[in-house]
Amino acid sequence: MAVNMSGEVVLAADRERVWAMLNDPEVLKICIPGCETFEPDGENAFRAVARVKIGPVNARFKGKVTLSDIDAPNSYKISGEGEGGVAGFAKGGAAVRLEPAEDGGTRLIYDVEANAGGKIAQLGSRLINSVAKKNADNFFTKFAEAVGGGTIVASEVEEANLGAGGMP
Amino acid sequence: MYAFDYQRPSTVSEAAALLSDGSGAKLLAGGQTLIPTMKQRLASPPLVVDLRGLSELKGIERAGDRLVIGALSTHAEVAESSVVAAAIPGLCKVAESIGDPHVRNRGTIGGSLANNDPAADYPAAVLALGATLHTNKREIAADDFFQGLFTTALEEDEIITRVSFPIPERFAYAKFPNPASRYAMVGVAVAKGPQGVRVAVTGAGQNGVFRATDMEAALANSFTPDALKGISVDPSLMNSDIHADANYRAHLVTVMARRAVEAAAASLSTA
Repeated sequence: MAVNMSGEVVLAADRERVWAMLNDPEVLKICIPGCETFEPDGENAFRAVARVKIGPVNARFKGKVTLSDIDAPNSYKISGEGEGGVAGFAKGGAAVRLEPAEDGGTRLIYDVEANAGGKIAQLGSRLINSVAKKNADNFFTKFAEAVGGGTIVASEVEEANLGAGGMP
Repeated sequence: MYAFDYQRPSTVSEAAALLSDGSGAKLLAGGQTLIPTMKQRLASPPLVVDLRGLSELKGIERAGDRLVIGALSTHAEVAESSVVAAAIPGLCKVAESIGDPHVRNRGTIGGSLANNDPAADYPAAVLALGATLHTNKREIAADDFFQGLFTTALEEDEIITRVSFPIPERFAYAKFPNPASRYAMVGVAVAKGPQGVRVAVTGAGQNGVFRATDMEAALANSFTPDALKGISVDPSLMNSDIHADANYRAHLVTVMARRAVEAAAASLSTA
């Protein structure tokens, strides 16, 4: 099933600093919910392992993250694909844009398109939107802290296209 | 099934000790969420701690001006309890509306509250009634207990032992169930009691159970369905999924709120 999300965060740091942190594996590791490892794996690519813990579900996902369409310090696309064994898989990409904001800060605007499949998507179809939003909000709250301050200005999940076969 | 350890402690403190080493042990009460999750391999706890031998967690009694329900009380036990029927009859109806007979014969109030599924029924009832959750470590007010999607104030080695409810003047719960799972697509619990008027909504929000403060203020003035006229719910705060979109849920909240108030206003309560 597909999930689309978008949002905006205003950060208390200039664009160069925000850009550097968006590309720093140490920072990304701290911000990604449940991330256990996040290591460089070639040019503009990383290998990651993250534990997805929502309610009763506790499953480990392994994946690859790549950066593309890189236009420093304005924008990039960050894409990932992960699989969790029988739990299922997820893949998606986010278009991230940085604009100057008031008082020397930065406005970060993101647009995510993601797909999830397998058991976790089938059994969790009633929760996909809420969980996606919660993870995005967690990521950006931590990122804002890492950068030295900021607030989430907007955060929404658009209608998910769920296809057939979802279970209650 | 994959291999895992299983322990059946005989006291609550033994159970808590088994949870304290951070190895990912899970408590088993009714198992209505844990077991299916394990069977689907969406979780593989190395240790399952079975609470079902702990008689100190059973029992339903009226203690002065409070109703006290043991954490291991099943939904069927609460639904059929004459003690609950005499104290808070609307609570029998909440328990009766959960899942199906199989779920009700096994599922427990402690398990439901500790899990805090955003579509579960008990969180709305407990929040509306302003109940207190008693654990092996402390007492937690309902307002402080529910902290978001599947998130509660419970610590890693904390176990709910019982839930105590102040006796309300009026209480009712109205739910629009998913026809297959019977989870609440929207469920609204309304109570008028020692803490004033409280309205709690489950199934609808993006972040778990919440209090509808606009509705509470309107009903405090006049505890009638008409007092809710014109109060709408913001769809951008509602969950959208394959069962219902945000706009539909926002509308359903107002409908279920009216039905809950009608039922509460008509209900008899015993002081």
